[in-house]
Amino acid sequence: MSKRQLAMVMDLNKCIGCQTCTVACKTQWTNRNGREYMYWNNVETYPGTGYPKNWMELGGGFDAAGDLQPGIIPNIEADYGVPWDYNYDSLAEQNLLSDDPTPGIRPDQSPTWGPNWDEDQGAGNFPMDNYFFYLPRICNHCSNPGCLSACPRDAIFKREEDGVVLVDLDRCQGYRFCIAGCPYKKIYFNPKISKSEKCILCFPRIEQGLPPACAQSCVGRIRFVGFLDDEESQVYKLVHKYKVALPLRPDYGTQPNVYYVPPVDTPPKFDENGKVIEGSDRIPMEELEKLFGPAVHDAIKTIKAEREKRKKTGESELMDILIAYQHKDMFRLDHNYYAEVAKKKGMQPLPLVDERYVAGKYTKPSSISHFKVHA
Amino acid sequence: MRRVVQFAAALSLTASAVMAGTVIDAVKVKSLDGLKCGAKVIKKNAKFYKVEVYPQTTLHMNDKKANEINKNAKAKVVEVAALTDGKQIAIITRWPDKSKDIFSGYKSDIYPDGYAVQFASDANDPAKLPYIGMGSDGRPVAIYLRKAYEIVYEPNGNGDVAHQVNPHNTNYFGKELKKFEKEVQKRGLKAYQKAFVSEGFRSMTEIKDNSVNYRTDMHYVDKKGMWGGMVIRPLSDEYAKPTKGEYAVAIAVWDGKELHRDGLKRLSSWVAVRLPGANNEALEKVVTEKVKGDVANGKKQFEANCASCHNDRNFRNAPLYMAPDLSNIGGQATAAYIKESILDPNAVVVPGYNRNAHPNFSWYTVDKNGHRTSTMPPFSFLDQKTIDDIVAYLQTQKAEVEK
Repeated sequence: MSKRQLAMVMDLNKCIGCQTCTVACKTQWTNRNGREYMYWNNVETYPGTGYPKNWMELGGGFDAAGDLQPGIIPNIEADYGVPWDYNYDSLAEQNLLSDDPTPGIRPDQSPTWGPNWDEDQGAGNFPMDNYFFYLPRICNHCSNPGCLSACPRDAIFKREEDGVVLVDLDRCQGYRFCIAGCPYKKIYFNPKISKSEKCILCFPRIEQGLPPACAQSCVGRIRFVGFLDDEESQVYKLVHKYKVALPLRPDYGTQPNVYYVPPVDTPPKFDENGKVIEGSDRIPMEELEKLFGPAVHDAIKTIKAEREKRKKTGESELMDILIAYQHKDMFRLDHNYYAEVAKKKGMQPLPLVDERYVAGKYTKPSSISHFKVHA
Repeated sequence: MRRVVQFAAALSLTASAVMAGTVIDAVKVKSLDGLKCGAKVIKKNAKFYKVEVYPQTTLHMNDKKANEINKNAKAKVVEVAALTDGKQIAIITRWPDKSKDIFSGYKSDIYPDGYAVQFASDANDPAKLPYIGMGSDGRPVAIYLRKAYEIVYEPNGNGDVAHQVNPHNTNYFGKELKKFEKEVQKRGLKAYQKAFVSEGFRSMTEIKDNSVNYRTDMHYVDKKGMWGGMVIRPLSDEYAKPTKGEYAVAIAVWDGKELHRDGLKRLSSWVAVRLPGANNEALEKVVTEKVKGDVANGKKQFEANCASCHNDRNFRNAPLYMAPDLSNIGGQATAAYIKESILDPNAVVVPGYNRNAHPNFSWYTVDKNGHRTSTMPPFSFLDQKTIDDIVAYLQTQKAEVEK
């Protein structure tokens, strides 16, 4: 356990599957040097195969007794999908006047699988009871990480100051037991350097006052970032005060620190004549229970009750939080805390890039003297 | 065809006079400079000895497919020779491996073949050699590793950021782009070779400060379906020295086809390598010692005293993660080590699993200074005969050798 834990909450009711987070992450971290196939952040359609293919069936995590479970290491072509390139080079040489012209930009290989291969397919029969929702996933920065426990080299560590789970690339020898050990398959093998790499929760951004790229770029404002022990943070309120944000697959026993507000009030089903079946839910509760555990019932009840309260009285802190009015309220990165940690380690605290998100348990907004955003 | 046969016969006459044994005589040659696998100097001079390497089964790792493949892994025989030019020592190994597994391309689930030589830092007290699995507290080892990678890059690119960007993020096109990619290629490591110091499993640390001087080579002979591997290092350096002209050395080989990496490998017991004219009877005695004892009684005693925690080939009722699995201890540990571990389990405490992986089974407790105390009680109350019988029994605990 780390001293403090930085956490993220994602509100699934608002995710539109636009992949802006995916692109923000990819261009920042994974578009080069053996990471091309990796999606540290991905948005998959649920129900669906997910990324990598059928990750929920690949083992890892812990059983009820706390023993690490064996797992399977996915294959790039079959399970992740090879990132293909385009025939840019041949464009200039294409002869459009030939008898058999093959103009245009096309992939340089025929891909057989990739992330979101089954995007928007979902389950059920259209239009009666078909359904799906989007499930954005990053590393859960677990309190009991499967990857860390599996590493025979002690190359994976959980940062003391904020619980971010990181790989020490100097110690990592590319054995890949971490991939088998992570039940979310959110740690990847980099074939170019022969070492494992994973989501770093954008810690270099956070230390300079910027939220993770996926969270800041989210157009639906579904992502909240803050410390779990910071009672002012919206993350704390969603997770601990209202208990409407739940970890994904808590049964894996890794104690994830990314939390999800489950989809509430899905549209009703239609009967054979196309009539609405009153009181029905398109997303079966069993599916939600499988993903988020039995606590999902209470979470949905709370959200519905708060919404009613808001309708009647115009007041509801929870609804205000979920509306996500202001980025500066959604992200509390506690800059003074990071500065103190750096000083304690004898390092120079990094200069702030953005002062909007600096507030936190140890950083009072009044301590911010001015507002500035560097170019 | 006849010519091939003659050639093979000639080969076996010169270099391949293979002898059994765990004491290897290093042959003096003029120079080891620039030596590579398959060199004439090796063919002419090297005296090869048969050394058995056994599957490492102390821990059960968490790769489902690898566990399935290695469930009934057999031992292999490798052939080891040593050469010296008076300044350096070369350990040359050849071993059968029908599949040539070289890591190349954009893959996540293939593993390369590999080879490593472990040198005990010294053999001053042969009865207390380092733990065979990468040394132990206060008993360091130096490990030289070579793996069959086609090309691999340093993660930090040695500080060269300009060549770490995606080619499409550069301003280059056509010829310039190809030139850029060639420059990137140049920065890859052609030979995946690493030297480590280690004081026990998990503590292995790569030596990166240029304080180690060594060379490795690895080379596959398609016709024979065999790998050859070589490590050359100074006779003596800060990481390992001979004691009375002899080294304690161990050999490990990895088979990529069996998804080998890390502890999933085949490992020999300590082998004595004798420099020309040297004599270290004490070390030779330890590495060759076969305890005379009543194996049948040893088995009974093992069942009564050990089998509640340790699994081996006959008794598999202990919980899987409770204690080191002794299924191949006879192939890897010396009799002295087994004896020491029975009488004083704290002498060498195997770090085992990550403490978080199987929290119900702690092999040891750790004090404030990081010192480990084994949870196994000393069995010093057993009489000498019982201990000898158990050791004799445990020396039979090893996988069958692959024909």
